[in-house]
Amino acid sequence: MKKKLLSMMLATALVTTSFVACGGSSDTAATTGGDTATADAATEAEEEEVVDLGGTSEDPNTLTVAAWDENFNIPALEAAATAYQKENPDFKLEIKTLSGSSDVEQAVTLAGSSNDYSQLPDIVLFQDHYIQNYVANYPDAWQDLEGADIDWSDFGAEKLSYSTIDGKHYGAPVDNGTCVFAYRIDILEQAGYTIDDVTGITWDRWLEIARDVKDKTGYALLSMDHSGDDLPYMMLQAEGQSQWKDGKPNLVGNETFKKIIEVIVQGANDGTILLANGWTEYTDNTIKGDQVAGVFNGNWIIPTIESNEAASGKWEITTIPTLSGKEGYASNGGSSLYITGNCEKVELAQAFLAYTFGGGEGAMETYDNALRNGGVITTCVSASKSDVYNEGVAFFNDQPIYTTVVEYGTHVPTIEQNDYHYTLRTSVGNLITNVQNGADIDAEIENAQSEVEFAMEE
Amino acid sequence: MVQAFIISLKKGSSANMEWQEPLFHNYARILQDKTFQTAMGNTFLYLIIEVPIMLILAILLAQILNNKDLKFRGLFRTMVFMPCAVSLVSYALIFKSLFATQGLINAALMNLGIISENINWLGTTFTARAVIIIGLIWRWTGYNMVFYLAGLQNIEYSVYEASKIDGANGWKTFWYITVPLLRPVIVMTAIMSINGTLQLFDESVNLTNGGPSNTTITMSHYIWNLSLGQGVAKFGYASALAFVVFILVGILAFINMKVGDKRD
Repeated sequence: MKKKLLSMMLATALVTTSFVACGGSSDTAATTGGDTATADAATEAEEEEVVDLGGTSEDPNTLTVAAWDENFNIPALEAAATAYQKENPDFKLEIKTLSGSSDVEQAVTLAGSSNDYSQLPDIVLFQDHYIQNYVANYPDAWQDLEGADIDWSDFGAEKLSYSTIDGKHYGAPVDNGTCVFAYRIDILEQAGYTIDDVTGITWDRWLEIARDVKDKTGYALLSMDHSGDDLPYMMLQAEGQSQWKDGKPNLVGNETFKKIIEVIVQGANDGTILLANGWTEYTDNTIKGDQVAGVFNGNWIIPTIESNEAASGKWEITTIPTLSGKEGYASNGGSSLYITGNCEKVELAQAFLAYTFGGGEGAMETYDNALRNGGVITTCVSASKSDVYNEGVAFFNDQPIYTTVVEYGTHVPTIEQNDYHYTLRTSVGNLITNVQNGADIDAEIENAQSEVEFAMEE
Repeated sequence: MVQAFIISLKKGSSANMEWQEPLFHNYARILQDKTFQTAMGNTFLYLIIEVPIMLILAILLAQILNNKDLKFRGLFRTMVFMPCAVSLVSYALIFKSLFATQGLINAALMNLGIISENINWLGTTFTARAVIIIGLIWRWTGYNMVFYLAGLQNIEYSVYEASKIDGANGWKTFWYITVPLLRPVIVMTAIMSINGTLQLFDESVNLTNGGPSNTTITMSHYIWNLSLGQGVAKFGYASALAFVVFILVGILAFINMKVGDKRD
């Protein structure tokens, strides 16, 4: 009898655990992750419920918007609301603050899966790298911005390439992902170099200087998380090239790509490019921990650089080295505002976006305050003519970095993007790790290519 | 479960799923998926190394802590069980900071003169796997120990006395009395550990993010990547993989019960 009871219990345990096994797949279905900057943190939210984005408001003059980052995007939205109230005094903007970009992605995935978009607010902030994929997968979740009075030529073309789908503009740009290459000029000086010596140089020359700096000062000249992470993407963009061609990965036979990988592996082996295990180690140990004399990433990395106050006045920014030695420009990350399929006040939403973020009359006020309060840099050229943008920044040796970044932004080449951006990034990271461990580079490139192609099959 | 199976035969985004053609294409695809094979290899490696070490440790600890003459038994038992009360994510993050290249473990080893330069624990395949296994053992040994303790307390003391009179030494008592009487509990803990290891997720995600070069990725982590991790949702294929994991758990549990069940 006892044994029978026990076997019953075991069977029950087995069945319940198996249910948990399948439950696991549907539980995870409600979650998502992978902001470039918060990938690590996003996984922590794995077991959380999908966040309610608040839906829309019944008041005809009130728009609702959901966005993340209290120190960055929220001040920008507040600035825009204040600016638009001058044009339309009855206007109200209800802002729902989220903990991260994945909240919006989750909510759209959930709404799309259940075909019920009523929980979405009028406007959402959305990551640029993901939007193409989400518009393709959930077309009913979005409304385009074609009717809005926005002069699109006033913006960096590269930024708009993300939010333009099938020739239609969907997103109003908020921030700017333009890359900067920042150097510690005091350390360069110790090694006998100036910022001009590292501007407009080839990567080979950069590697030489980096070795010299490392020998003389002990500092590495660059760091990145994981196995290079966004580095190959940004370096390739500076060459005006993409990892994609006609919707397929373009790695095998791509000489530029191969050379770039060789540069990264060489730098890693020399100890001049530090590859950290994960995002926090990248920001906290290598940058804040004062291990590197150079930082290369989207300009949203600037607050991280500035958090090491002891180095104030010792940094300057410049352009990116390239294989040919011309000055390179690239962009990485960022987000835009999108009108959802649930918005019934489309005209008001379009007018608001056009007047503020879209380069209308309120744009200069919006972007000035967004920069002051949130450090958000625009891609809108006319708005960057303001005094706020042209002030020198003490931390960067009085260099007017904001207007410089906007200027860089206009040079960033538009390159082919793909929904499988992050899949390819992972494969390329693996490739770099393997080559670093002595694997044959050509074979590894072929591997990575077939891995991505396999992942892309339906 | 039925829903999951239906989804596993489909393709496309979750808003607009279509039937795969041929219907079992997602399952056929698994056979060609090198990443999944790597993930499966990794998971079984964890399974083969971690589960026996953990269960043996747990049973030995239970034996020691079951000693009637031991002082502060309650305290020790609580201490061994404590890791289990820690959130999966936070323990993974703590391990991550301990084993960081500039972390405590490296600093300690350096100061003791055991190593001459920092080891990149989580960036090297072998050490990264070792860290995951150490983490798992730390987290789950106490949990299994509790089951063994409960089992041990059900064994009548008179049985031990009888064996002592018959002249059995400590090891013999353990092997011929404790282990056979604990068999049902051992079978249960083994099934639960195998099941848990096959679904291993948090450690792979938080400690190593599957790296370096996917050599520590687990099956569940790969499924998560496919469905949500990288912005490209392949719910159909991910469901198919989840089903394969489910079947694997079932098969292993079945074998386990057959082997462990010595009823006539």
